[in-house]
Amino acid sequence: MKLSKLLLVGVILGLFTYSAFAQVSKYKCLVQMSNYVGEGAYITISLINPQGDYEKTLQVLGDDEKWYETLEKWNEFYLQQPSQIDGVTGASVSGGGRSIVTLDLDASKIDKGYKLRFESAVENNKYYFDDVEIPLSSQALAQQNDGKGYIRFVRFIKVK
Amino acid sequence: MTLSLWRWAHLVLALLASTFILIASLTGIILGIDAALSRLDAIQSDHLDQITLAEALPVFREAFPEITEISVENGERVLVKGLDAEWNELAAYVDPSTGEILGEPVQESSFIQWVTAFHRSLFLKSTGRLMIGAGALLLIMIAISGIFLVIQRQNGIIHFFSKIPKEGKHQYYHVELGRWTLVPILVLALSGTYLFLDGFNIFPATPMLEFPEEISEEESEFLDPEEFPAFQEIYLSDLQKVEFPFAPDPNEFFKLTSKNSQQLINQFSGAVIQNVDTPTIAQLKELNLVLHTGKTSWVWVLILTLASANILYFIYSGIVIWRKRTRTKIKNIITPDQAEIVLIVGTENGSTLGFASAIHRQLLANGTASYLCEGNAYQHFHKANQILVFTATHGQGEAPANASKLLALIHQTQQPKDTQFSVIGFGSKSYPDYCAFAVEVDRTMTELPWFQQAVSLHTVNDKNAVEFTDWVKAFNHQSGFTLATTPAVYAAKPTKLKTLKVVEKVFEESDQTFLLTLKVNGIAKFTSGDLLAIYPANDERERLYSIGKCKGKIQLVVKLHPGGFGSGFLNNLEVGDQVKARIIANQSFHLPKKAKSVAMIANGTGIAPFLGMIQQNGSSKHLYVGFRTETTMTQRYTRQISAFQPKSSNHLSHWAFSRQESYTHPYVMDLIQRDSEFFAQLLAEDGVVMICGSLAMQRNVEAKLDEICLAHHKKGLSHFKAKGQVLVDCY
Repeated sequence: MKLSKLLLVGVILGLFTYSAFAQVSKYKCLVQMSNYVGEGAYITISLINPQGDYEKTLQVLGDDEKWYETLEKWNEFYLQQPSQIDGVTGASVSGGGRSIVTLDLDASKIDKGYKLRFESAVENNKYYFDDVEIPLSSQALAQQNDGKGYIRFVRFIKVK
Repeated sequence: MTLSLWRWAHLVLALLASTFILIASLTGIILGIDAALSRLDAIQSDHLDQITLAEALPVFREAFPEITEISVENGERVLVKGLDAEWNELAAYVDPSTGEILGEPVQESSFIQWVTAFHRSLFLKSTGRLMIGAGALLLIMIAISGIFLVIQRQNGIIHFFSKIPKEGKHQYYHVELGRWTLVPILVLALSGTYLFLDGFNIFPATPMLEFPEEISEEESEFLDPEEFPAFQEIYLSDLQKVEFPFAPDPNEFFKLTSKNSQQLINQFSGAVIQNVDTPTIAQLKELNLVLHTGKTSWVWVLILTLASANILYFIYSGIVIWRKRTRTKIKNIITPDQAEIVLIVGTENGSTLGFASAIHRQLLANGTASYLCEGNAYQHFHKANQILVFTATHGQGEAPANASKLLALIHQTQQPKDTQFSVIGFGSKSYPDYCAFAVEVDRTMTELPWFQQAVSLHTVNDKNAVEFTDWVKAFNHQSGFTLATTPAVYAAKPTKLKTLKVVEKVFEESDQTFLLTLKVNGIAKFTSGDLLAIYPANDERERLYSIGKCKGKIQLVVKLHPGGFGSGFLNNLEVGDQVKARIIANQSFHLPKKAKSVAMIANGTGIAPFLGMIQQNGSSKHLYVGFRTETTMTQRYTRQISAFQPKSSNHLSHWAFSRQESYTHPYVMDLIQRDSEFFAQLLAEDGVVMICGSLAMQRNVEAKLDEICLAHHKKGLSHFKAKGQVLVDCY
């Protein structure tokens, strides 16, 4: 028991130091919405690990927690680990609108089988759990990635 | 349309919507106060209507290494979003002339967010928005029916703001505040409805800009954004938002949103690629938002907040008026000015109204313009040719509660020439001064030049329907009407009867007095000093007894009179028997809530209400009671009283026994004389004297108190009576 506890502490400490010294790349990210009709969409941008599980929430567009439950799959993860959010911007995004956010990406995770997932939900309307899902690769980050739902496309520009 | 239709619509709509409107106005007040406070330190930049976007761009670039969006809020401040030197997201208000950072957007507190969400949707998402929206829609209709109601009352739109008669406090302020706040309330309701409909996409949405097909990079002239004609033409005050291209490639554009259009602009040439005009109805959204939230002017916010607060008062006063109206059950379908026959009712607890209503209904059914109102609503009746006064008498020839000003009003108010009148008095011969007030009214009217007596004064004893039909016959004969003369039409069946169960009965042989404790089946609200009306023969004849509320039960003290109608009936009751009776609230003889000290004076069975009051909290109580002899009954009273008397000396009881020689103060008057200093001080310090018992005792006590007052204060008892410091319930 004691040994396992120690190990756990060690692992957590290790993770902490690892992430603290990890090389962070900043990306400017454009989320361009399609011309849909309805309320503003709530969108989450999540980092998915190679096993296909949520690792971290990079951005939430929309700050009223009341609607988080409409992003069903992400909400499950959020309820388990509510602290794993990098940023929340105030506004949800309406049809035809766009939002520009900055994402902090761990350079060591690029091209390592990780994915970026954009989920979207609109009040009284459909929920897309993989509106945009792209590999976290240098190639995908350099091109325009089209969405399946409310998102028309997303684009990235590396700024640092 | 008749007055009652508008009133009915106004009431039904208000009741339907009141819950939602209550919530919306309560939360609205909070939001209004918050908005007014945030206006105090709102960031405002001057001359936005003189600075073009092109002029401001270099200034903003100075402050922000990279701009993603520029928006103008309320046409008064500029918010710039972008990235700072460290590539972090940044949003700040920037002065367009100096480039000075004025502040960062403040997030609303979670409390205000919570209130806003509640105000919009009751936390029930679409369902809640629908409910609040329906409330707003109903509020429009309430306001409109209210406007028509005021027009009706005031006899036309020209008199909308002329003086309104003061009928009652709440009635008056409901109308008075109503007509001043109708406009802001209507604006709130209309804009609220618009915003609710907009939320459900009822209105045609603004067409969205189409995304152009892939454009290949074509060589054209390159301009700096500062040189774009589109940017040089637009002033910041007209701008809503300009979004910057994400990357320097030809598929990325400037998107410019102004009050009436959206434009897509080539980021290199500055050419307008697309232009979409905003439909007028969508342009209204901003206007409605401003009107509903008052976000641009603290004066308007203040008006809206006051209007919201008024809505709360309207709900309250509206309910009070409605309750009062249904209680008195006066139903008129015409206004006073249209009335040809006017029925004036003076009643203490509504029984006289039954007779008047029966006549009123028949007249209306006959197509006669009949108008029924209470004594205190007496006014000039423009078209009246008959005024009939139905009145009870209160106490010793005084006016009943709702006709307290009637005599003065009759004197002051001129009526059309040769108006005929008739007075019908209601009372009971078991009390002195039978129908004395009716006699007074009749004499007053006879003396006035504009009146002509049609039918001489008739009196009705104990609601006797047969006696009433005597008047009906006389009236029919004189006026030519054919009103019903069958007594059964007018025989009032007592309503709101409660079933009471006898739980205790104690009889004192020596003075033929008995104490009866009754338990009410079900819920009843009453207090000591209220009256219990019993119906010994199960007809309209009632007898009243003062209630003492002891441990939640009704306690009566009754003297058995030989052949007594009421006392004999009560004496025949045994423990376990049930009896039907009505509880009458008797406001004028309740233990005063505010008085510091109260002297309670009683003789004989008059002790009944005081036995209950002594148990109530509040003022210090001094009991002065007189009996003939000390009996097991008086000993019981003593025990009952001492059980509730704290040890402290501010509750005292003084007993007088007139037939017991050992007592130096045989009568209550002697006790009062003995304690004259105390009574003088009590009255001077706003204390209250309550008297219950025989009329003879009341006269003697009042004479004694008058003497004391004159000696100590150089003012008679009447001075204190006028201030409501003497409460009497004597028989």
